[in-house]
Amino acid sequence: MTPTFDTVVRLLKQLPGLGHRSGERLALHLLVERSERLNPLVEALSAAAAAVRRCGRCGNLAEDELCVVCADGRRDPATVCVVEQVPDLAAIERSAAYGGVYHVLHGKLSPINGVGPDHLNLATLSDRLSNGEVSELILALSNDVEGEATCHYITSLLPDTGVKFSRIGFGLPSGGGVVFADAVTLKNALDGRREYH
Amino acid sequence: MTLLEIRLQRFRNIAGTSLRFSGPRQFFQGGNGQGKTNLLEATGYVTALRSFRSADHRPLVMNGADEAGLAMTFNHETTGETRVVIRLRPDGRGVEVDQEKISRVGDVIGRFPAVTLSSDDIQFIRQSPGLRRRWLDLALSAGDPVYLRELQRYHRGLAGRNRILKNEGGDRELSAFEQTMAETASALTPLREEGTRQLSETLQTVCGEISGGAETAALTRLAGGTAGTAEEWLALWRESREKDRLSGGTRRGLHRDDYELSLNNRSARDFASEGQQRGLVLALRLAEFRYLMEKRRVRPLLLADDIVNELDPERRRRFWKFLGEETQVLATGTEPPPEPETWQRFEVSGGVFTELFR
Ligand SMILES: [Zn+2]
Repeated sequence: MTPTFDTVVRLLKQLPGLGHRSGERLALHLLVERSERLNPLVEALSAAAAAVRRCGRCGNLAEDELCVVCADGRRDPATVCVVEQVPDLAAIERSAAYGGVYHVLHGKLSPINGVGPDHLNLATLSDRLSNGEVSELILALSNDVEGEATCHYITSLLPDTGVKFSRIGFGLPSGGGVVFADAVTLKNALDGRREYH
Repeated sequence: MTLLEIRLQRFRNIAGTSLRFSGPRQFFQGGNGQGKTNLLEATGYVTALRSFRSADHRPLVMNGADEAGLAMTFNHETTGETRVVIRLRPDGRGVEVDQEKISRVGDVIGRFPAVTLSSDDIQFIRQSPGLRRRWLDLALSAGDPVYLRELQRYHRGLAGRNRILKNEGGDRELSAFEQTMAETASALTPLREEGTRQLSETLQTVCGEISGGAETAALTRLAGGTAGTAEEWLALWRESREKDRLSGGTRRGLHRDDYELSLNNRSARDFASEGQQRGLVLALRLAEFRYLMEKRRVRPLLLADDIVNELDPERRRRFWKFLGEETQVLATGTEPPPEPETWQRFEVSGGVFTELFR
């Protein structure tokens, strides 16, 4: 429609979950229909861009060195739940069934999509495991081939540390991830986790 | 089950047709390339959401059209009158059963079984192993959705391992994928062994019924890797790593299985005459028919492409005896069938179907 408008639409439709039509609708909404919403959004985005980073310990979103979970003294730091993505962590938090801390991989091994071990947040996980603070590692990865291979990879990192490995997955939708499960399913899956080798 | 009605839109050379079937015998008569096999192809598509002629669904959409539509109404043993609608687009497809969206092949495979007989079936015996593997995997998947799930997991793991080999990834990463492959392979191996054994037994019985009991026939699995348990598979792939890295792929495993058809204990490929080979693949298809019927408790449709006119009178008599009165048979031929009055007949020309009333 106009060169700058078209640029905005082009950038919006590259975002996950948005196609050309929804990108166009958003751009119209923010620039024409409800332009009073634009500045607060721009300010919030740039403030967040400056403040939000990865938690230095677990990879969760954080604004300080540690995320709110890692910084919470009531959480059990010896129990670590490994998830693929931040939304998985959020889903488990919503279930309120878990009192330990997390480790976010930011993905799973997927050679056919070009994701190898170096692309995942694995180095800090090795550090956490080897400095003795962890007694149980709960693997809450997706219930598919890549999720399983990632579990095998993680258990092979430190076979003899005495860390107890367990896996949730029972009751999770087959082939799906943690984020697709409802709170009750997640609670059952956490309670029913099995030791894993 | 029986097929009560089929509607096709922009499917290969069929612009649009709507056929209602009465009784268990339909015959489609016409010259080559007129569209009679296309109708069988559309009917067979619903078994496993794939064509028996093409691995890719794009050729099924009429040239220049952006979508093909298939709608079939079945009278089904477990779900009664059931309507299946399939839309094929170059970039994907949509499937609905009684207006409920189906997102995974596993949720529909084998529910609406059809078995296809074709003169090309002889290639089972003559061609490279890929055809035999695909056939067996399809038959076992249609008989048991667990088989399909494990098979898909195995191939996903295999694709991962092959990519790691090509990218020169580390042993730890290879090992992670070998472990998932080994788990599914140890689940698949006995299912495949048992499925092959059951199909072979059924083949022997059917062969007796079709040929009059003179011959012994068997289907044997030639394993693409001698392992069974997860530990054995794991050891096999670990030991193969160096050579696999050189060849850039996984050389041994369930994906390298082959199957041999034998007649009177000798390889049918090397020792059977063409007539014997044709008889054997016909018996194999009918064994598939009986296997699916017993596994799913649904009577499959039989799609006979250019077959019924080719059977000699004695074999034809045994063929109909085997199928019984209830099995719905959709058949094609360039000439009218023997006993034309026993069929509901359609003439096919340029993708247009015309029912013949005399
Ligand atoms: Zn943290």
